[in-house]
Amino acid sequence: MAIHLLGIRHHGPGSARNVKRYLEKVKPDIILLEGPPEADALLKWASHEHMRPPVAILAYVPDNLQKALFYPFAEFSPEWQAILYSIENKIPLRFMDLPVAHKLAIEENIEENKKETIPEEPPIEEKDPFLYLAQIAGYEDAEKWWENNFENRSNNDNIFDSVNEAVTALRENTIVEEKKSERYREAWMRKVIKQAEKEMFNDIAVVCGAWHVPALQNMPSQKDDTELLKGLPKVKVECTWVPWTYSRLSFTSGYGAGINSPGWYHHIWNTKKDVSVKWLTKVARLFRKNQIDVSSAHIIETVRLAETVSYLRGYSKPGLDELNEATRSVMCMGEDILMSLIHKELIVSPKIGAVPIESPKPPLQVDIEKIQKQLRLPLTEEEKEIVLDLREERDMQKSIFLHRLSLLGIKWGVKRSVSGKGTFKEAWILHWDPAFSIDIIDRGIWGNSVEEAANNFLVSRASQENSLSVITSVLEDSLLSDLPIATQALLSRIDSLAAASSDVMQLMAALPSLVNALRYGNVRKTDTEILSVIVDSIIARIFISLPSACLSVDEDAAQQLLDLFFSLNDSVSLLQNEAQLNDWYKTLFAIAENKNSSSLVAGYATRLIYDYKLLDSEKLATAFGLALSPAVEYSHAASWLEGFLKGSGTILLIDDALWGLINNWVNTLQDDHFIQVLPLLRRTFSQYSNPERRKLGEKAKGSGVTTTSVISSSSNFDHDNGMLAVPVILELLGIKTETNLL
Amino acid sequence: MENIIRQHAEQQFAQELEELKKQDTGSRPPNWVLSPQGVVSYLMGTKLKNGFEVSPKYIGNKRLMEIAVATLTTDRALLLYGLPGTAKSWVSEHLAAAISGTSALIVQGTAGTSEESIRYGWNYARLLAEGPSENALVETPVMRAMKEGKIARIEELTRMGSDVQDTLITILSEKTLPVPELNTEIQAVKGFNVIATANNRDKGVNELSGALKRRFNTVILPLPDSIEEEMDIVKRRVESLGKAMDIPSEIPALQEIKRIVTIFRELRNGLTMDGKTKVKVPSGTLSTAEAISVMNSGMAMAAYFGDGSIKAADLAAGVIGSVIKDPVQDKIIWQEYLETVVKQRDDWKDIYRACRDQGF
Repeated sequence: MAIHLLGIRHHGPGSARNVKRYLEKVKPDIILLEGPPEADALLKWASHEHMRPPVAILAYVPDNLQKALFYPFAEFSPEWQAILYSIENKIPLRFMDLPVAHKLAIEENIEENKKETIPEEPPIEEKDPFLYLAQIAGYEDAEKWWENNFENRSNNDNIFDSVNEAVTALRENTIVEEKKSERYREAWMRKVIKQAEKEMFNDIAVVCGAWHVPALQNMPSQKDDTELLKGLPKVKVECTWVPWTYSRLSFTSGYGAGINSPGWYHHIWNTKKDVSVKWLTKVARLFRKNQIDVSSAHIIETVRLAETVSYLRGYSKPGLDELNEATRSVMCMGEDILMSLIHKELIVSPKIGAVPIESPKPPLQVDIEKIQKQLRLPLTEEEKEIVLDLREERDMQKSIFLHRLSLLGIKWGVKRSVSGKGTFKEAWILHWDPAFSIDIIDRGIWGNSVEEAANNFLVSRASQENSLSVITSVLEDSLLSDLPIATQALLSRIDSLAAASSDVMQLMAALPSLVNALRYGNVRKTDTEILSVIVDSIIARIFISLPSACLSVDEDAAQQLLDLFFSLNDSVSLLQNEAQLNDWYKTLFAIAENKNSSSLVAGYATRLIYDYKLLDSEKLATAFGLALSPAVEYSHAASWLEGFLKGSGTILLIDDALWGLINNWVNTLQDDHFIQVLPLLRRTFSQYSNPERRKLGEKAKGSGVTTTSVISSSSNFDHDNGMLAVPVILELLGIKTETNLL
Repeated sequence: MENIIRQHAEQQFAQELEELKKQDTGSRPPNWVLSPQGVVSYLMGTKLKNGFEVSPKYIGNKRLMEIAVATLTTDRALLLYGLPGTAKSWVSEHLAAAISGTSALIVQGTAGTSEESIRYGWNYARLLAEGPSENALVETPVMRAMKEGKIARIEELTRMGSDVQDTLITILSEKTLPVPELNTEIQAVKGFNVIATANNRDKGVNELSGALKRRFNTVILPLPDSIEEEMDIVKRRVESLGKAMDIPSEIPALQEIKRIVTIFRELRNGLTMDGKTKVKVPSGTLSTAEAISVMNSGMAMAAYFGDGSIKAADLAAGVIGSVIKDPVQDKIIWQEYLETVVKQRDDWKDIYRACRDQGF
């Protein structure tokens, strides 16, 4: 009976190679692997034909999703190779780390205790224990040291013995504050090993982080461990496979710190010979793809430089650092800019894994994957833009699916506005983040399919939300997501809120998105009958209470009202309902003619009436005269003017009568009154575009005479030819000339 | 020797090179004085086994020096690139001294540098008297370096005309220099290579042609990362220059160096050291080399016009001179800096007053 302890570095391709070789040599009859025991049942999926690393085991607490741990695996992870070996050779493999159930529960307890006790002293900065060895060997960086000594070597005999020896020496001689959780973990690992021994396995291979090896070698009495592990707290934990990405591998996970260069590891794992040459060829191809000229001679020179530098540094072969430095020097003229391209595309590399559909997963996840497959929307790590034509059935389905996900808070797709394509086109940017798998589990409480979850989610929102404008914007989402049940719930909620609402401004704020919804509803073939009934009733309510809402309001409220007025007018004209328009005119007249209305709103109402051509210029002049007459307070007159002129001043340029009225009014103002209204007038005119303002200025300066701009003649102007046209033009303009210009 | 203003690196550091050579066990490329590791140790400074201390020549990233040295062992030439005053020529001189034992094979690139000063020229008296012969040939530093297997240095490569630059292509790729007039050629002996320097913020430079670029590995020498590193550089250089120039004044206090380096870094980065105030950036490069020369002129001022110890007033003129390169724009920038940053610092009152006294 023998126990083989294989100390590895998580995600180290060299370790992976060694583990594979070692397992093939000793042929163990069981493998014990550092990892969550809850996931034992998931292991059989590892060799499934649709399983593509990078993938991760996600262990989560179903009723508290803040608590979750990922155990990622890449192709080049020693853990993954151990799993594959066990499946190929049909030997059992067990995870032997402290169960996540305990781990998370312990963490929770610690956090709670922390809250109670007095804040401790600041933690001492932790030093990576391997740094001691690295520094003795003359390295600045522990990772680099490990890489050169254990990952990158050609002779690998007895490597695990050396690792073992090094770590034992380290653990004996350094004072690393031992955490309680580490002790639990190692005790649990020993327990699992003992269990395997009891079950009469002959050759037990233990694959774990190098740091744990000494603790598993010198077994203390079983009693102590049992004592230690007694009565550990526990939470309920579930596990599932999720796709992972290389960029996420660089994050901290259940296996501790992440790795910085997954793409590079992928390369060395998959390349048996000429690692540097093949890597630099990839670099060169990447550069060429980006229109940067790199010749084969460059590759040759880079390889040579990298090899010389690694020789100079005393390494057996170039590592990533040497290759990068050589690339920068030979291919990039010493500049760093291009290196970031290599970093993104090759060193990290945008690779995303896949998990078989059949593997056990939360039902919502299964449904999402099914739809993704149906609609041919594969997951990508890179950002990808798709443009949908909503007249196509499949694109329509895609749009609905993406809208549903985004209202559930799974932000896979972000909608982008497409210009000039009308309402039939929609553009989305898709970017999958493995962290979505947690969101998906979280939203699982709402239902087992996307449609069901989205419906239930919105129905529950409908019953809780009290603000009309929020509900109406949710309604828009709901219509876009084609959720009839939720739409019904939202509509009836809107109806009851609108009926109860005494605040006309709230109704006005809610209207634009309802009208929008009505319009989109047509494109999306949804039944909008109820919606239009509700819109009609809201509009009716607004028309009734609007005139009184415009009475005696202060300036801020008036300004707010004015903005709502603006969009209300848009909505009404968008609907093109004649009866409604007539009511709208009446409302406008009521507001404009009531002298107690807020002057700002009254001015705007007058303007709208004029725009609808319900007022001829004579009547308009009267209205103007009334509003600007000396009896009216100057500040009121100015704000009336502001309301009237909102949006555009062109009317002043065209209509000389109006211009005269305003001009006169300004002229009659006394100095101190003028100073009073000046800020208001300035606010009005500052909204106009530059050319408009310039023209107005010119008009004011020349008191009504518009100037024509003179086109300067270009150098190749033919003077004689031009002269020929002059008589005709003069005749057209009605100017008679006595003298002959020619 | 005593009367020479400035000695070559291989003269000044002869003892260090000698000791390194004795201790150097690494294998040496042909015609190299030291092994590549030895060269890196010479540049970065080290303590030898017998306790001999080798002073650091380049303060900064060791990895850059390793790339530079490794390049010279291959058949590619080395191009040191960077802002003015980032020790390009300094590194080039020491590399040549440590590798070939001489840093004197140097061609200065200018707009007027001709092909003759790179390839070879003719002694016209001889040429007329004897006709074309080896004796009438005037060797250039590059040609000598080829014959002797040494490092040739080319300063300010990009200041030369493009046609002149391109004469280097054959020399670098074929390692040969044809002399068609004599129907012969000079073939480079092992150990020959070229170190060129060029700066990337100069006006009126001639970009390297693609063909020539391909013959060079480029190392960009950056400005010092941290204020500590920069102060260290200024301190070492000021000390050694003060000694060399026999300036009879005290070595400036670290405090004084820190202030000058702070001013330079703040104006260069456009941000005060505490990261709280933005500062406009003047048009000059404000390199470490300029900070060194400010300290030096301050020392000279103190020695000959003052009492031998450096005062703020001795430095003010130098600082103003290196900051204000454009008499209009930079003056405004400097005044703003003076009023908003320098004035606010309690222990900088003397500098503020000294600068105001200069009329700025």
